[in-house]
Amino acid sequence: MRAAVRWRAVRVWLRAVRIRVRAALRRWYRRLRGRRGPAPVIYRWDLDKTYLRSDFESLRKIVRVPFERAEDKIDEPGVVALIQALKRSARDADGQAFVYFISASPPQIGRAIRKKLDLDGIDADGIVFKNQLHHLVRGRFRYLREQIGYKLAELLKARLAAPAGATEYLFGDDWESDPLIYSLYADLVGGRLDREALAEILVRLRIDPARLVEVKALAERLTHDDCVRRIFINLQRRTPPGRFRFFGARLVPAFNYFQTAVVLHLEGRLTLADVAAVGRSLIERSAYTRDQLRNSLDDLRRRGFIGPRGAVLLGQQLAAAAVLPDAPGRPGRAALLWRRVRSGRRVPGAEDGHDRAAVIDYPRLVDAWLAGGGRPGGEEVA
Amino acid sequence: MGGDFAPEAVVKGVAQASLSTTIECVLVGNEARIQALLDTVSYDPAHIAIHHASETIGMGESPKEALRAKRDASIAVGAGLVARGRAQALVSAGNTGACILACAREFRMLEGVRKTALASVFPRQTEYPGQDQLALLLDVGATVRCDALDLVQFAVMGSAYASRVSKVSRPRVGLLNMGVEPFKGGEVLAETYRRLRELPTIDFVGNIEGDDVAKGRADVIVCEGLLGNVVLKLVEGIAEVVTGIASNAVKQKRIWQVGMRLLSRDIRAIARLTDYAKYGGAPLLGFENVFIKAHGRSSARAIENAVKVAAKAVRDGVPQEIAAGIRAIR
Repeated sequence: MRAAVRWRAVRVWLRAVRIRVRAALRRWYRRLRGRRGPAPVIYRWDLDKTYLRSDFESLRKIVRVPFERAEDKIDEPGVVALIQALKRSARDADGQAFVYFISASPPQIGRAIRKKLDLDGIDADGIVFKNQLHHLVRGRFRYLREQIGYKLAELLKARLAAPAGATEYLFGDDWESDPLIYSLYADLVGGRLDREALAEILVRLRIDPARLVEVKALAERLTHDDCVRRIFINLQRRTPPGRFRFFGARLVPAFNYFQTAVVLHLEGRLTLADVAAVGRSLIERSAYTRDQLRNSLDDLRRRGFIGPRGAVLLGQQLAAAAVLPDAPGRPGRAALLWRRVRSGRRVPGAEDGHDRAAVIDYPRLVDAWLAGGGRPGGEEVA
Repeated sequence: MGGDFAPEAVVKGVAQASLSTTIECVLVGNEARIQALLDTVSYDPAHIAIHHASETIGMGESPKEALRAKRDASIAVGAGLVARGRAQALVSAGNTGACILACAREFRMLEGVRKTALASVFPRQTEYPGQDQLALLLDVGATVRCDALDLVQFAVMGSAYASRVSKVSRPRVGLLNMGVEPFKGGEVLAETYRRLRELPTIDFVGNIEGDDVAKGRADVIVCEGLLGNVVLKLVEGIAEVVTGIASNAVKQKRIWQVGMRLLSRDIRAIARLTDYAKYGGAPLLGFENVFIKAHGRSSARAIENAVKVAAKAVRDGVPQEIAAGIRAIR
């Protein structure tokens, strides 16, 4: 009897020791991470057609845009949940995440845009607008629609002002030149594209000569750092994804923000709960069904952005979170937990063998770009 | 994933359907090949699933032997998916015999139905404004010979399909025969005539002769499979011959070229009316599930329309309407 009491006391003491050791280890780990400080992450977003579902199909609709109230502006399905998740995820991991917007719209609509972001609960760290008045006053109407020089210059300025070692994720759409601008920027910053080659490309793309000078000057001040991890292109226009393959595996053409969230999860930027939140937002706010999300995940697997094993595991985890439909023969919680432990909490994703920043044949890409009227040329580049 | 232009036409057709409708399609076939094709077209992945099947049955293969030898043929796998409830309708432009056989193996017949019927829509002359430009001819090849009860059931099935899909409230049903008199065509057709006449649920307009098929006398024309198939192929053959003669003639004389130019707008209008791509495909009636057989030469547009027809048949409850019709005559 006495031995039993003594044994129980020993067990209680052991438990207390275990808890204290764990807490000490946690404190030590936090201090260690805090000292090093995880590299900040910068998410740069295009505004129209990427964040906002802007409608520029007719002159009437273009004219209406400056007069739209913040309440009338419609965001792309899932984008608000995704940006909120990116911020939350960084905060939870004691890291820093910055969200910047670059828009080719005039600053006159800035007030409505800022109010819209406020209404959506987006904590933006900065927004840049294009000074259209500058071109309008000088009668340079051709440059009103010119985006490449403007965005490239703004991206370079932002890079020079960014904290050292910050990694970047870029978000654009398939309506205008985002894939090309982002790829040029990523390769220039990464040191894969020299300034002379860039100047040649920009001359061929007939950008504003004043911008060309500015871009060249900014490029000279740049320290090479392969900081752009991924470029996400929202296929709002449903451009065939095959047309983007010459931009390399770094560029992810995504049909919806659930697909984007999945890739960011594989990158370690979002937790599973965040992906589920984006999925849930699509279901609740945009009438997506769970089957449609499953199809979107499968599409991502077939296009090689997530491995087959990873897709199965993620599918099971998201089914457990009631975001995807139950797959037949779903394993139990214990099996799921074991798989999670075995995979080191990281879903096997986009194959590491994928050469994300493959050297892009820009002269041919630009040929195809120009032949395609300023859109991904597709087969012409093959 | 069958048809003369498969898989390109099928994949493109489904891709178009994914953008223009909310129908969710499951493409059955070689996954890698399908995705490679999808990469080249605009599509919405939320509306497209792919189920891998490693084999296909060629248009010239013997259906029975091919289905026995190729367990993983796309048509067999597709029919299995529908039977298990993974999809609600099956569409194929492949080997007709293999399609019918695969459906017969996987699908359950509606209670009381003795034989299934393949129905084909064809353009016909309209008699009054607003009349549907299409009539339904069945059976066009699912059976060879039938008895009177089978033909009566075909009439009920055709009437149910036309009332649901073509929205004809009380479709007029005719019996394809060699004369309009009730006793013409032998015992089976005379008996069918008598039974249809007595059916209160069917608006029977009597016998229809060959020259009346393309006229607007009936919305549904019933015949046995052998005859229906001959009629269908004859019409297609004549259309091809006429087109061939016209294009050869045009090359011979300049005056004919000028005449053709002047008529080109009307010719295009006729071509649009008789374009099979516009009508999608032919339903196989009598099963609990919907099957739409698209033309072997189906283009992407034809496949897209076949998908829409299949979805409409499911949405409008065609099998349930047929089951109710069959119950009423038992």
